[in-house]
Amino acid sequence: MDSLYLLIPIALLFCAIGIKLLLWAIDSGQYDDLDKEAWKILADDEAPGGNAGDVPGDDTSRGKKP
Amino acid sequence: MCCPGCRAVAGLISASGLETFYQQRTAYNQRPSEPAPANAEQYLVYDDPELAASFTETGPAGDITARLLLGGISCAACTWLIEQTMARLPGVKMALVNLQQSRLDIRFDPALLPLSQIFARLDALGYRVRPFQASAQRTQMGREYRLELRRLAVAGLGMMQVGMFAIALHAGDIQGIEAQYQGLLRWVSLLVATFVVIFSARPFFTTAWRHLRQGALVMDLPVALAIGLAWLASAWATVSGTGQVYFDSVVMFTFFLLLGRFLERRARQRHNMTWFDAQDTLPDAVSALRGGQWQTVPRVQLCSGDIVLIRAGDTIPVDAQVTSGESAVREDTFNGEPMPRSVAAGDTIYASTVNVEAALQARVLGSYLESRLAALQRSVEQAQTGKPRLARLADRVASWFVGAILLVTTATALVWSQLDPEQALWVTLSVLVISCPCALALATPAALTSAASALRASGVIVRGENALEALARATHLIFDKTGTLTEGTLVIARVELLDDMPRERVLALAAAMQHYSSHPVARAFGEIAPAPGLQDVEYRVGAGLEARQDGHRFRMGSEPFCRSQAPGLAPPPEEPLYWIALCRDSVPLAWIGLEDRTRAEAAAVVAAAREADMEVQLLTGDSSAQGPLLARELGIGAVWSGLEPQQKMAHVQALQNAGAVVAMVGDGLNDAPVLGVADASFAVASATDLARTQADFVLVDGDLHSITTTWRKARQGRRIIMQNFAWALSYNFCAIPLAACGLVPPWAAAIGMSMSSLLVVGNSLRLNNRPGP
Repeated sequence: MDSLYLLIPIALLFCAIGIKLLLWAIDSGQYDDLDKEAWKILADDEAPGGNAGDVPGDDTSRGKKP
Repeated sequence: MCCPGCRAVAGLISASGLETFYQQRTAYNQRPSEPAPANAEQYLVYDDPELAASFTETGPAGDITARLLLGGISCAACTWLIEQTMARLPGVKMALVNLQQSRLDIRFDPALLPLSQIFARLDALGYRVRPFQASAQRTQMGREYRLELRRLAVAGLGMMQVGMFAIALHAGDIQGIEAQYQGLLRWVSLLVATFVVIFSARPFFTTAWRHLRQGALVMDLPVALAIGLAWLASAWATVSGTGQVYFDSVVMFTFFLLLGRFLERRARQRHNMTWFDAQDTLPDAVSALRGGQWQTVPRVQLCSGDIVLIRAGDTIPVDAQVTSGESAVREDTFNGEPMPRSVAAGDTIYASTVNVEAALQARVLGSYLESRLAALQRSVEQAQTGKPRLARLADRVASWFVGAILLVTTATALVWSQLDPEQALWVTLSVLVISCPCALALATPAALTSAASALRASGVIVRGENALEALARATHLIFDKTGTLTEGTLVIARVELLDDMPRERVLALAAAMQHYSSHPVARAFGEIAPAPGLQDVEYRVGAGLEARQDGHRFRMGSEPFCRSQAPGLAPPPEEPLYWIALCRDSVPLAWIGLEDRTRAEAAAVVAAAREADMEVQLLTGDSSAQGPLLARELGIGAVWSGLEPQQKMAHVQALQNAGAVVAMVGDGLNDAPVLGVADASFAVASATDLARTQADFVLVDGDLHSITTTWRKARQGRRIIMQNFAWALSYNFCAIPLAACGLVPPWAAAIGMSMSSLLVVGNSLRLNNRPGP
């Protein structure tokens, strides 16, 4: 039973690391929009957005000449 | 598809290969105002770096990051659609939509893509878009949200740790444990629980203290007492190595309460639009005369004395005096009515009203702050601060609960100090912990969250704080007329033929002529196929339309206008409709009667409200006979017509001062102040944004039956809250005497507390059943 004196502090250490990581995630804005992220997993059939350079000048800009 | 605006949006979406949107969206989009390309030009002003500076940042590589506020985002699929569309524009590096704040963060290369094109693109998708101006209130909200989430996370992880140690301790109590291990487990529990209490439970202490200093007893006070004293007693027990520890109850209690509050807040703020300002309805780009030429200038740069050009169909950007031109302006902002007022040189026109008929030139009278619209916005703000706060049920229960607990605790302490002074402290503390009002404090938030999510499923967005409680007690239900009890658009009610021309032909001819008009009347004819072959259609401001066909001259419009061509025109029928005449040369052809049709379900809703003993009233900005007429038709006893927005507000305040609890239903910008001041308020689906921000409930599908559903749900919610209180209190009444006799060990206290909380939550979930018809 003496191992408790080692194991409990280790468990607390892991807990502290867990809390630290979670707080970091919250502060970096990862939980700011719970509605969207929950839904997003369903929508990723297509290639992820952001690589706009892949499709330059496709017909989506049609009819939109201000 | 209902209109050209929708068609343009649908075309754009499918041309971009983004049809998946239609399979994944969970709510219908709002109707776009008009075909999109017409709007593109107005965004050119945003290419001006000076104007753009307030909402953009320039990165080190010359990239620009802009923050835009989007209107009309209805569900998560919209965010996908927007992000995909933006990512496909050449030059966009990153596009990220925040659904909760309706905000788009976009980073792009200004050399490849002007900012105005991003605006135009979003507009073409059918979303309203404007610069995101960071306000103190908005940043504050974001910060509070993160802080609450941090507290919840720490409490949750802490609860797991302390719970593990607690199980070992409880097991030890039952089957025996060596003192050194018990001491170790208590010490680590103390460590974790102390961190949780300091980090997570702090808001309970601060709120309780703040209210206590003002002499108010709120629910947070018994909560803070229970947490504080249980922690203190357990800490003492740990240090002195005697008595009992309640660390698991302390952290579990903290976590449950934080979770309840977090969910309640999230349900409420889901559709928060407090950011909305009346100014947002005004166009940003204005045509003004500068150095003898018409130039497009940003609205904020207009000064008093400038001459501006307002085209037909434009929203008037500032309060101004007409210098030339003749037209009519629709002033539904201020009176809620769709029928326009005729204006000519010398008349004053107001910001946010719409110029309907013909182009006007006008002299700017002053800045936005001096305008009538700003005055309306100010009275909205006044309404918010002047709104009477109904005492929350929970707080009233709390105030006598605290008293009772303190009394019982003191009595226990006194009795035990006579019987067995050594045990007195521990028994007294166990009374405090057992009475821990977790179930009591959860009773209201659990029920409100549950009711709100049930209502959302049936098409009502719940926004207001305490509005469900207030609605359950409402004594008066007040309606606005146009757009609320009526459809808000004119339809053809009767056609009185004066010649032998058949009805279909008359209507086709009328539709063909009205096709050229942008007057609200023209929309009544929008669904009729127009007759072909019309020539030389001419619009006479303030009178009507004139056209030629096969050598005949047709006129359509007001009585004097038609009579001047056809002197034999009889006066219109008696019925109180909006009559317009049609004549061919000197032959009168027909009278066409238009009306703003009453919503089909209005009568049923009014009847249901009266059955539920609410007094129904009608307040309208329309000063015609229509108001009293409609009231008689629906069986509404009390009518006030011709009211200004501020008068409506005063009326409701007078009722409230007389002790009434007022629920208000409205739609227009002119209803915003009165919606703000009412105890519970509804905005119908077509309502203007400002009215929506002031309303506690937004009826998404525009069905007035939802009002009945909502107050039934509110009353059911009140019953459930009462049951929760009854249960939580009776649990306390049973448990406290047992604790006072010293019969409750800590493990039983922990189980009892969790079970009573779960029961309260389970009972509240019954509200989640879909409301009946």
